[in-house]
Formats: sequence, structure tokens, C-alpha cells
Amino acid sequence: MNTKLSPRTQVALYGLLCLLLFPFIFPTWWMITSSIKPISQIFAFPPELFPSRVDFSSYTTAFEFQPFARQYFNSVYISVVVTVLTMLICSLAGYAFARIKFPGANIMFMVVLMGLLVPSEVTLIPLFQMFRAWGLSNTHWPLLLIQTIGASSVFATFIMRQFFITLPLELEEAARIDGLSRLKIFWTIALPLSRPALAAVAIFTFLHSWNSFLEPLVFISSRELFTLPVALVNFTDAYGGEMWNVQLAASTMSAIPVLVVFVIAQRHFIEGLAHTGLKG
Amino acid sequence: MASAKPTTGMEGARKRPFWTIQRKDHVTGLIFVAPQFIGIITFVFVPLILVFYYSMHEWNVLAGTFTFVGSENYEELFRDRAMPGVLAATAIFSLGLVVLNISLALLLAVLVNQKLTGMSVFRTLFFSPVVVSVVAWAIVWRFLLQSNGGINGLLYMVGIEGPNWLRLPHTAMISLIVVQTFKSVGLNMVLFLAALQGVPRELHEAARVDGVPPFKQFYRITLPLISPTLMLVSIVTIVGALQVFGQIEVLTQGGPGTSTTVLVYYFYQQAFQFLNFGYGSTLSIILLGIVALLTYAQWQLRRKVVFYEH
Amino acid sequence: MANVSLSGIRKSFGAVDVIQGVDIDIEDGQFVVLVGPSGCGKSTLLRMLAGLETITDGDIRIGERTVNELEPKDRDIAMVFQNYALYPHMTVAKNMGFSLEHRGGSKEEIATRVNDAAAILGLSGLLDRFPRQLSGGQRQRVAMGRAIVRNPQVFLFDEPLSNLDAKLRVVMRGEIKALHQRLRVTTVYVTHDQVEAMTMADKIVVMNGGKVAQMGSPLELYDRPENLFVAGFIGSPAMNLIKGTISAQGFVAGGTVLPMEASASAGREAYYGIRPEHLDLVSDGGIAAEVLLIEPMGAETQLTFRCGQVQLIGIFRERFLGHVGDMVRIQPRLDLIHLFDASTEQRIA
Repeated sequence: MNTKLSPRTQVALYGLLCLLLFPFIFPTWWMITSSIKPISQIFAFPPELFPSRVDFSSYTTAFEFQPFARQYFNSVYISVVVTVLTMLICSLAGYAFARIKFPGANIMFMVVLMGLLVPSEVTLIPLFQMFRAWGLSNTHWPLLLIQTIGASSVFATFIMRQFFITLPLELEEAARIDGLSRLKIFWTIALPLSRPALAAVAIFTFLHSWNSFLEPLVFISSRELFTLPVALVNFTDAYGGEMWNVQLAASTMSAIPVLVVFVIAQRHFIEGLAHTGLKG
Repeated sequence: MASAKPTTGMEGARKRPFWTIQRKDHVTGLIFVAPQFIGIITFVFVPLILVFYYSMHEWNVLAGTFTFVGSENYEELFRDRAMPGVLAATAIFSLGLVVLNISLALLLAVLVNQKLTGMSVFRTLFFSPVVVSVVAWAIVWRFLLQSNGGINGLLYMVGIEGPNWLRLPHTAMISLIVVQTFKSVGLNMVLFLAALQGVPRELHEAARVDGVPPFKQFYRITLPLISPTLMLVSIVTIVGALQVFGQIEVLTQGGPGTSTTVLVYYFYQQAFQFLNFGYGSTLSIILLGIVALLTYAQWQLRRKVVFYEH
Repeated sequence: MANVSLSGIRKSFGAVDVIQGVDIDIEDGQFVVLVGPSGCGKSTLLRMLAGLETITDGDIRIGERTVNELEPKDRDIAMVFQNYALYPHMTVAKNMGFSLEHRGGSKEEIATRVNDAAAILGLSGLLDRFPRQLSGGQRQRVAMGRAIVRNPQVFLFDEPLSNLDAKLRVVMRGEIKALHQRLRVTTVYVTHDQVEAMTMADKIVVMNGGKVAQMGSPLELYDRPENLFVAGFIGSPAMNLIKGTISAQGFVAGGTVLPMEASASAGREAYYGIRPEHLDLVSDGGIAAEVLLIEPMGAETQLTFRCGQVQLIGIFRERFLGHVGDMVRIQPRLDLIHLFDASTEQRIA
């Protein structure tokens, strides 16, 4: 694997990689270019790889047809709140499971791990009924609560616990002797040292929340409460016909910010996920 | 030392106070895990009990009736004409996805692991669909896979007339598998990449000294050494495949006919479109059973298949 | 500064008793070394003193206070850990001042004390560095600096030199000792290295199997080990210990008779102990021995002999000019022979 490859092999390798790359980047390219094509050009045969005329009207239509700005804001604020709270709650829990030998810790950890094994669909009907009984259906509460402390948060707790276990115990003992309480040890020693794990948790949680589709589809019925994924599938005209260019414009707007953040921070993304994902 | 001494203020400390260092620490631990634990009890444990309870009831939302029917819903599984098709679609989709996803992920990981310039760019690009939302990705592909869409347009340019991909049973299923693979293969690639980089360099050097050709090195050294990751990733991928919903909702809505109605999608239809909550609960328990079996199989296989663990 | 007393200390993890009743009194300003093989309970004992482990039974007093239920931070102690336990995300200055910060010291006061400690340890130029930018010896000094800054009543060291290479270990050993002579703070130091114990301690506590095997000054332990364990543990190379029987002619073991002063307790099963440095090569008298191994070390020469089935090691100042296989005569110094009972393993007076 570590031999120097001959120039011919190198060229072949690059060629193969570029070929393989096509289905990974073409859809994104096609999404962006089609969203700025006039509707008449969108199904042009043969297809136009570079739009000959540019038309941004589908972008304005997206905001007129639905409360898209509001829906966009919903997705952003839900994902951000869920991510921040998950990081806090799950690192606290992960820390306690890793470090504090309180009675019942093992049983509680087993119960929490159940969240990893149970597919979220299995609990969807009861959760739907519970939130309806509490008068919280068609609000953002089910999304916020289930994502922050429900099954999907367990992975974060697990990642954090695995990471805290690897931190040298002596550091915390030194901190105890230096006069810190548990909470302060957690906050000033353990947490700052667990940045790689926290980054992975933040990425996983944000993406999961941002992409979540089934839950908002089930829990939310008002357009102004929709999150982006649900809003995206709702761009159909009065006769149920697809509004392709508007859908693509909205999809572009939902995908581009995350893609940009990803490209800027790709190293942290990939390495963070690789290292914690392996243990998970 | 333990002999009786006059009691002084200092000696008071000899009696253990109730709030010992240890007890205080235990309480701290409980407070730390409380939000997570309460969340799991409320949003996983209780619903899990409820879903079993619901599955034993006939639940008519419109008439407002909720009657105990025992195993009726479970017997319904065997009478349900759609069920064989649903299970077949689930099996084809999951297995097809795992095979395609794992092989492609492994291939990409090996390619990207070569020490050549620009590999991190390729790595980033292969990974990029992972961060695009499922729905946006599916919408683009639905657009591409129209009979007059981009894919057929490209095929037309090389002289092939493509089918209406999402409207024919076989091509619809294949499209779903392929679209889902491109979406998620980057994550598995990265996991394999990390595993490949964890294989000690000396082993390959030793093999080269011994004159083992590169392909044999891959099968006899690399593959066995990354088998724990291979194992884990396969199970995680298959469990993930059983839960794919967004793509199907956007691309085929279970059609044409019921050819792409997998278990999760059928569950969604029964529960939230036909408001058949009792039978829906039963279907979700079947899903739970399959996932539990797979998890159990993973534990068993771990011992047999995995040659090497850290 | 304070004296420290441990009385009747016990510690059990479930059914396992790791500390089985330990009493130690440490005087104010004394340098006490806890030494013993791994698993003997020395580190556990130190951690109990620090408050990092709870005690199952007994009392720990520091100065006038019983500290059993006090948090580590309230015990007025400072500890240097084996891996230094420097906070990787803080600079040297921050590491050293961290505990003062949490005890409500003013910024100026913290800065002064950190600078003073840094000056003592030669760290003044490194205050803005992070631990990862330091060498092993520098990290070790920062760990000590962190302890000094606090100006505690007791210093605790948990195998602080075991991560350093051999040469640096000798240097740091000297520095710790010099620091103690300068500050005169009561110090408890744990090590598994008996050379460290011998060179540094005012008082050594040898531990074995959760109990104190013997306590005393280094030379007391060397000259008069009270039991077989201490005899074998203290001294390098270790004392020759041979099992056999005391008789009127001498000590009978493995087909040979080792010379000893006439003893009343003939017929008793015992261990015969003689330190390698207490064997002499003689031209006549003594006992016949075959040279098995010659290990010249420059200043000294270490020889391994065989007399009958008994193997003995000797250390000599003079160079040995013979060869392996030569027959020589060796003579133990009769007044420096140690005898231990075979069953109780205690010293026979």
C-alpha cells in the first residue's frame, strides 16, 4: 500500500476517482444550475450543463408560495437549540457514567443504552399519542424534547462517556486537590479537554436534527411551523403538480449553508466522525 | 490509638457525618445523569411499553373506539396480503443497500487512502452528500430520474434511451438503493479509512519483504485486520437501511404499486395515513424484532468473524 | 507544616483487604518514603492521605485535625502525580496558579507566588508554555511548582520519577531532596525503587501485602532488617538468602556448610542472609566456590559463585583477574550475617 505508484497507475487512479465522483457532485451541480434556469429550460433536451439564461424568479416564488423564511428559521432555531442542549445534557450524563460510581449507575446506563437499540419509528405512535394528550401536538415541543433527551441523544451520551473514560484520571484528582468541585472539574477540566468528542456530537446532532423528516411530518400540521425537509416536499401547485424550479431553489437554499460550513470545517467533520464513530 | 480519649471538638469528626464525601459525590452523579435518564424513561421506555399495549388493541380513531383484541393484530400480519411483498421489498432494499454501500465504501476508502496529492479533496467530495439533507438529496434525484430528466438526458447524449426510472418496479427499487448509497456511502468510507490507517505499516512492509502481491495483501492482511470495523459498519448500515423513510416518501411513495413499500413505509401508511394505530403498532414491533435480531447476531458474530480487536 | 499520623488504617474493596491495619507517625518536617513492590498498598495509602480514596476504618490526622471526612482541598496538602497531571489546556503559569485561583487569591498574589516558585525551580522562562512544549524533566518541575505554590502543610509524591529516564531520575532525586531541605515541609513520598527510598528518606516505611513490614531510618533498615521481606527488598544487588538448617558446625544448606558464629539454636530451620558487599575473597579459609559469572561494572565487580547447590553473589571493589570456572575461596563477614526463622520469616536475634 505504501509503494510509490508508477505515473501510469497514478493517472489511472485519478481517472477512476473522477469517474466515481460524478454521481456525488453532479446532483448538487444539477440542483443549483436547474434552480436558476427558466422553467422552459429545465427539461431541455439535450440537457444544458451550464444554464444559457439565468432566472432567479424561482427563489422569490419559494418565499411567496409558503412562509419559507419562517420555515427556514424554524429549522435553524430547532437544530441550534437541540444541538446546544444535547451537548450540555449528554456530556453531563456521559461524564457521570464514565467517572462517578454512584449506586445504580450500571442499571441506569443499561436503560439509557436502550435508546441506541430501539428504532425511533417504534416509539412514534405512543409519542404521537402522548404529545397529543399533553396538548403539544402541532408545536415544536415534540421535536425539541425527543431530539434533545430522547433516543437519538443516547449516541451523544455514549460518545462522551467513551471519551471521558480515556481522559487521565490523575488530572481530575489533581483538580480535586486544587480545590475544585465535581461540577467545576467537569466544566474547567473534562469539558475543555473533550473538544474533539464535543465537535463530533455537535455535528451528528445538528445534522440529525436538520435532516429529521418523519417526526416533523407526523407531529406538525401547520405550514408556518414546518421545518425545511417538510416544507421542501410541499412545493406542489393547486393540482398537485410539481413546481420543480421552486423545489430546487428551496432545496439549494437548504443545502448550501450546510455544505459551505462542511467544506470550511471538513477536516474536523471527517476526523471527528471517524474517530468517535469507530468506538460507537 | 482507639482507646478512650476525652471528647474534644476535634474528636467529633470521628463520627461519620451523614453527608460523607462519597455520598455527596453520588448525589452529584445522579443529578448529572437525571435529564438524560428521565428523557429515556419518558420518551423511550414508557412508549415502548405503550406500543406493546396498543398492538393488542383495535383502535378506530374516527369512531373513537379502543378495544382489546389480544393477538388479533399479530394474526392479521399473516392474513395481510400486502405483507409478503412488504417483507420482500424490505429484504431486497436492505441487502442490496448493504452490499452496494459496503463494497463501494471499501473501494473508495482504499482509493482515497493512497498517498497522492489531492486525496483530501476527493475524500471531502465523496463525503459531501452526507451533509445534504435527505429530502433535498431525494428531490434532486427525483428530478434527475424523471423520464425527461437529467439522467436520461445524459444517456440520450451517448445514444441510450433510458426508462422512466421511478415508474417501473425494478428500476424504482434499484434507483432507491443507488440514491441512498450515494447519499450515505461517504460516512462508511471515512470509517473504513480510519480503520485502514490503523493497520500497522510494518505488516505491509513485512508482507512486501515476504513477496506477497498487493491484492493478496489486501485479502490476507488488510481485510482481516479491519474486520471489526467491517462488521460494525455492516450492521449499522443494515439497521439504518431498515429505517430509510425520507427517500421513499419523496422518490416513490412506496410505488409503483407496492414494489418499494418497505416495512417502515408500510408502518407509516398504516399508522399515519390510514390512522390504523393498533396494526401500526404491531408493524413497528416487527421492526423492533428485526433490529433486535440483527443486534443479537452482531454480538454472536463478533466472536466468530472478528479476528482481531484492539 | 504539621505532623501526620495514620492509625489503624484499613481499606477493603469488597472482600479484598488492600490495607490491613497500618499505623505510621510522621514528624513535622520529616521526609518519609513509602516503598514496596507493586500492589503492596503504598499508593492506596498515599491516596487515602490525600483524600482521593475513602478509608474503611481508622483515623488520619494532619496537624491537629482528623481529616477522614475532609475533601482533599480542605486537607492542606499538595500532591505530585506519577504522570504529573498537568492540565494540557493551560500554560505553566496557569497550571501553577490554578489552585490559588480557586481559593480566592488575588491576581497579584497568585502572580508573585507563581513567580517565586518558578524561580526556585528554574522555570521562570517557561511560564507561558503549554505542558506539551516541555521536556519530561521540565514537566516534573512544573508539577512540583504547582505543589510549592500552595505552601501546604504536607507534600505528597506518588512515584514522581518513574516516567523519567535513568539519568534524569538521579538529577530530579537530588532536586527534590534539596527542595525539601530548603522548605522543610512534611513530605510523604511513594516509590517502588528502593534506591530512591534509601537516598531520599529520613524514614522509610517498607510495605508488603497491605501491612507495614518495617519502619526506620535507611541505615537501620539496611543494617538490621527485621524480616525476610525487608532483607530481600532493601539493598542492591539484593542480599543473598539461603534456606537451610543451623547446626553446630555452621549453616547447612544445599550440600555445603556456610560459616557462622556458634549459635545456641542448632537444628532450627532458617534463612541465612549475607549482603553481596559483605563477602570477601580470601586465599585460605572460608569456603570453596566456583566462579559462574563475572560482571565488571568499572568501580566494582559483581561475581556469581556456586558452593554445592548454593548460589551466592558478591560485590568487590577490586578487579577480578580470574575466569569463569575458576575455583576461589570466599569468606562472609561473620558479624554481618542475618538469620531469619524459616516459618515466621522474622529475624532471629
